[in-house]
Amino acid sequence: MEQKTNATWVVYLTFVVAFLLAIVPFPEWALNYRPQWVAMVLIYWAMALPYRVGIGFAWVTGLVVDILDGSLLGLNALALAVIAYITLSLHQRLRMFSSLQQSGVVLAMTGLYLMMTHWMKIAANQAVTSDLHFLLGALFSAFLWPWLFVLLRQMRRSFSVR
Amino acid sequence: MSLEYRIAAFVVLSLAVMFADSRFDYLDRVRFALGFLTAPIFWVADTPARVSYWIDDVFVSHSDLIAENQSLREELLFARRELQLLAGLASENQRLRALQEASASVEGHILTAEIINISSDPGSRRVLINRGAQHGVETGQALLDAYGLMGQVVEVLPFTSWVMLITDSRHGTPVQVNRSGERAIARGSRGEVPELELEYVPDTSDIVVGDLLVSSGLGQRFPKDYPVAEVTSVVHDPGQPFAIIKARPLAQMDRTRHVMLLELPVKEGEVAPQNGTVPDWIEVTQAQEPVVDAQGDATLAIEADAAALAQQPADAADTTDAPADPAADPASATPGDIPVEDMPLPSELADIVPETPAGQD
Repeated sequence: MEQKTNATWVVYLTFVVAFLLAIVPFPEWALNYRPQWVAMVLIYWAMALPYRVGIGFAWVTGLVVDILDGSLLGLNALALAVIAYITLSLHQRLRMFSSLQQSGVVLAMTGLYLMMTHWMKIAANQAVTSDLHFLLGALFSAFLWPWLFVLLRQMRRSFSVR
Repeated sequence: MSLEYRIAAFVVLSLAVMFADSRFDYLDRVRFALGFLTAPIFWVADTPARVSYWIDDVFVSHSDLIAENQSLREELLFARRELQLLAGLASENQRLRALQEASASVEGHILTAEIINISSDPGSRRVLINRGAQHGVETGQALLDAYGLMGQVVEVLPFTSWVMLITDSRHGTPVQVNRSGERAIARGSRGEVPELELEYVPDTSDIVVGDLLVSSGLGQRFPKDYPVAEVTSVVHDPGQPFAIIKARPLAQMDRTRHVMLLELPVKEGEVAPQNGTVPDWIEVTQAQEPVVDAQGDATLAIEADAAALAQQPADAADTTDAPADPAADPASATPGDIPVEDMPLPSELADIVPETPAGQD
């Protein structure tokens, strides 16, 4: 279990970039199409380095997202922790999947992530949209996943992140 | 096995944190501290916009600058002339007010700010401005641009603050029709189009398309008589208890970057201890807001209740122990500019709306 760490700054850097991409201003009509960068990067690292990026890591990441979004503290933290849990329990199978299959899983997981945050926002009186257009973000995440996967794998290999 | 225990622990922890954050203010300090962490991210995310503004400023031809300077000079001249007229009007107004012993309108210091980000949540309309606790921003301060009211500060971080726009569906602005003086609450619309809806306006009210809505200042949060919106459609549906009135906000919500932050009126602190009426008055607002909120689910029974409340201000005042002064008129006195999320649902209203079906909207 305990492996020597190497170049973990790459992990943090990719998360910072994901935060940036998550808050870069979009025009209003495009808000629903925004890919869920943080969730995708989290899925990748939880799959590739399950001993390094776990549920606790995902939870803290979610807290940062909560601050960036200005949403209720713990909302994204809970959703991302659940995503990390699912990824961790599936990670050995996920690694064997083709990129198309992985995209399907990413579609399901980012969809679940969006749905969970939506439910919690409704429960906390923070949202009022009743249409499900926001789920389009999951579709775009799945669409972008193969490229993101190749990019992150390349980074992991060239910096030999452990 | 340990994975299941860990996720269970973190789920419980998240729920506890969410509950604490929504009910108490222990976590405001945590939020504030984490704000230091996220400030650089916002700064970097804003870089493209800043660079493009910088390029606009730097790479501009000499003749363009001269032309711009010329037009600015002319504009300044006009503005000065208007100011002279205004000074005369202001002093006259003050004399008249003194005669009537009316209170002066809200004035305060203004802090310029820039919008550096917008909320990535499609369900809310909020923007981030580049002023925070370091610049003396406080929750509740009004945000204006040169054309109209934009919103109010809802969360203060160290170097930035979140502003809820008046078009957010959880935001209500107390407004007044400039022409007739009729008061109403302008709530942000729930649809895709950023516009305002006037709530609980009787069918007989005198509001027509093109009317200018100004802030009434009744919430004591926004400056009085500042332009808010222009009425774009008035529908009198015989099947509905109230007129359906929509308005377009005058502030350039999605075009402007430069905005003004208004200092909180000092009045707010002074008024509270003066007499016992104010706490009661706040109770009225708390009793009213959830009705407003439940109306979104559009059950006719609730609307009928709300209609009864709106048409009998005296009754409404009695049930909530508020003084029966004009300010107790629920349609006008509700300082809707307090975000609904801050308002607990009173138990009696929870009884009235026991089963608001969640899937109905």
